[in-house]
Amino acid sequence: MATEKKFTGGDLLFNVLEQHGVEHVFGYPGGAIMPIYDALYESNVEHFLCRHEQGAAFSAVGYARASGKVGVCFATSGPGATNLITGLADALADSIPVVAITGQVATAAMGSDAFQEIDIFGLSLACTKHSFQVTNIDDLAKVLHQAFAIALEGRQGPVLVDIPKDIQLAQVNGCLEHLAKLKNKVKLPPANVGSAIALLSQAKQPILYVGGGVGMANAIDELRSFAQITALPSVSTLKGLGAIDPKDSNYLGMLGMHGTKAANLAVQECDLLIAVGARFDDRVTGKLNEFAPHAKVIHFDIDTAEINKRRAVDAAILGDLKVNLPALAVPLSIAPWQAKCQQMANDYAWDYNHPGETIFAPAVLKEISEQMPKNTCVTTDVGQHQMWAAQHMRFDDPSNFLTSGGMGTMGFGIPAAIGAQVSRPRDCIIAVSGDGSFMMNVQELSTIKRFQLPVKIVLIDNAKLGMVRQWQDLFFNGRLSETDLADNPDFIMLANAFDIKAKTVTEKSQVSAAIAAMFDHQGPYLLRVKINAQDNVWPLVPPNTANDKMMENS
Amino acid sequence: MNNYQLTIKADDKQVVLERILQVTRYRGFLINGISAKVNTGTNIGTIELMVSSERSIGLLVDQINKLIDIKEVRVDNSVSQQCIA
Repeated sequence: MATEKKFTGGDLLFNVLEQHGVEHVFGYPGGAIMPIYDALYESNVEHFLCRHEQGAAFSAVGYARASGKVGVCFATSGPGATNLITGLADALADSIPVVAITGQVATAAMGSDAFQEIDIFGLSLACTKHSFQVTNIDDLAKVLHQAFAIALEGRQGPVLVDIPKDIQLAQVNGCLEHLAKLKNKVKLPPANVGSAIALLSQAKQPILYVGGGVGMANAIDELRSFAQITALPSVSTLKGLGAIDPKDSNYLGMLGMHGTKAANLAVQECDLLIAVGARFDDRVTGKLNEFAPHAKVIHFDIDTAEINKRRAVDAAILGDLKVNLPALAVPLSIAPWQAKCQQMANDYAWDYNHPGETIFAPAVLKEISEQMPKNTCVTTDVGQHQMWAAQHMRFDDPSNFLTSGGMGTMGFGIPAAIGAQVSRPRDCIIAVSGDGSFMMNVQELSTIKRFQLPVKIVLIDNAKLGMVRQWQDLFFNGRLSETDLADNPDFIMLANAFDIKAKTVTEKSQVSAAIAAMFDHQGPYLLRVKINAQDNVWPLVPPNTANDKMMENS
Repeated sequence: MNNYQLTIKADDKQVVLERILQVTRYRGFLINGISAKVNTGTNIGTIELMVSSERSIGLLVDQINKLIDIKEVRVDNSVSQQCIA
């Protein structure tokens, strides 16, 4: 217990944030959260004013993903709170620990359709792991402690705390409570190690299928040790990229809709699939009942609800990956299978030969990946550029590749890069974006300017909503509908308006020097890379199709 | 279509009933009946939920169990039955 002292609810909020080690928050003030912004004056927490609440939410997500800490964002009631929702949904889909604080109209006005009143507590049910509305000042500290505990416990996720204005102003005879310890609610059955080891030892063609849960569990070392001891051929989901060392000779790359041919063929042929922190997402499996059709399944996860959700498993290993992975790390005799997988990796390696002088985005992203400093963190938006980044850039840790996986949210990349840069001020942060996505949270360039954040933006510009255009060409008989962005603004002038240095490249011969100039520049930088509007992302597994029936560039 | 009856014990906390109903609908189960009461001595609520779906009830049980305020979810096999459509 701390010393007895009078606090307001706003003061108490910052005291609790500081107890949880929060140094940075992202937000936007407004009427119903003014007492909290007033209390900010006396706090040691640094606030980053974003230019839209959605930007604040994504910055909190990027902060959390880049640092492993809880991301915190603030918004006022009504539209401020509703603007957070996409960010919270994104955090829920990708299991990111975020605590969102919303102001609410005073308790006496609640339920009266007051100015800027919305039932954000009700709206939060479908897009948070949990949410609270504080209607008694005596509950505030406990609720805030619970919010942090819930955000981090088990499968991580976003928690919203809605605080009416009178609670923010209320006086509390402050005794700072101790941090809440959340009891582990779900009792997990003992790990089924024996049957899993039996499956492993019988398998002739096993594959390690790595998901985002590995990074969330901070189990990179354990996974790599497991991969090294077993020498399993491995594949990764979008969110799992970086968990396996990309230089591992048994690594086949990303699987799924835009996965490598080697990864998808190997999974389709395997007789045992060892899923680690992965959830058999539809973008991974393609046609579910034809996914890995010959395979038995061992599934490692922290979330009981993921077991048997989309694919029946033969052995479930529930719990902490850091504990459970070493228990199954046994050497395997699968040399012919390893050789076959490595042969496929060689046979189907990426081809960067691209005739003509127009710029080939995969080659640009590969070159950026080769030039970027160690510990660079790359964020993306959503679309073709996102898949090219996933395919052609190399990451040595999942916290170095931040992309909106589950929700697939355009507008994620720039604010997530802001959050990442705040959490890792000494590391290089690159936002790879497309011209469609870039415009979705373009106002956050002002946040970059305001805080002089040296974020590098690589804007892959085809003046299209490229991925939708690609699908319209391939699956809607070329009937292009609302995907032309030829009226984009002048991105160089736009960047310059925010004091961001910018350059356009239009030919291959300009690319290397332009990338080097971007990295040499000390401040924020925008490199616009003009590409052919007809370029597609290959390979592509069409919807409701087995992963071995992928379409390729021909 | 399968019919199931669930008995759920939950802490008597804000919107716990709304949370259960939201998860039930979202996960593809139709709510056919509900009763709820709270033991004021223990502040534990008991919710009986009659649902139907073509999906396995285990999927719903696991999702409801993830809600923070839930203490127990039980499927009453004596009441649950398979309907021949």
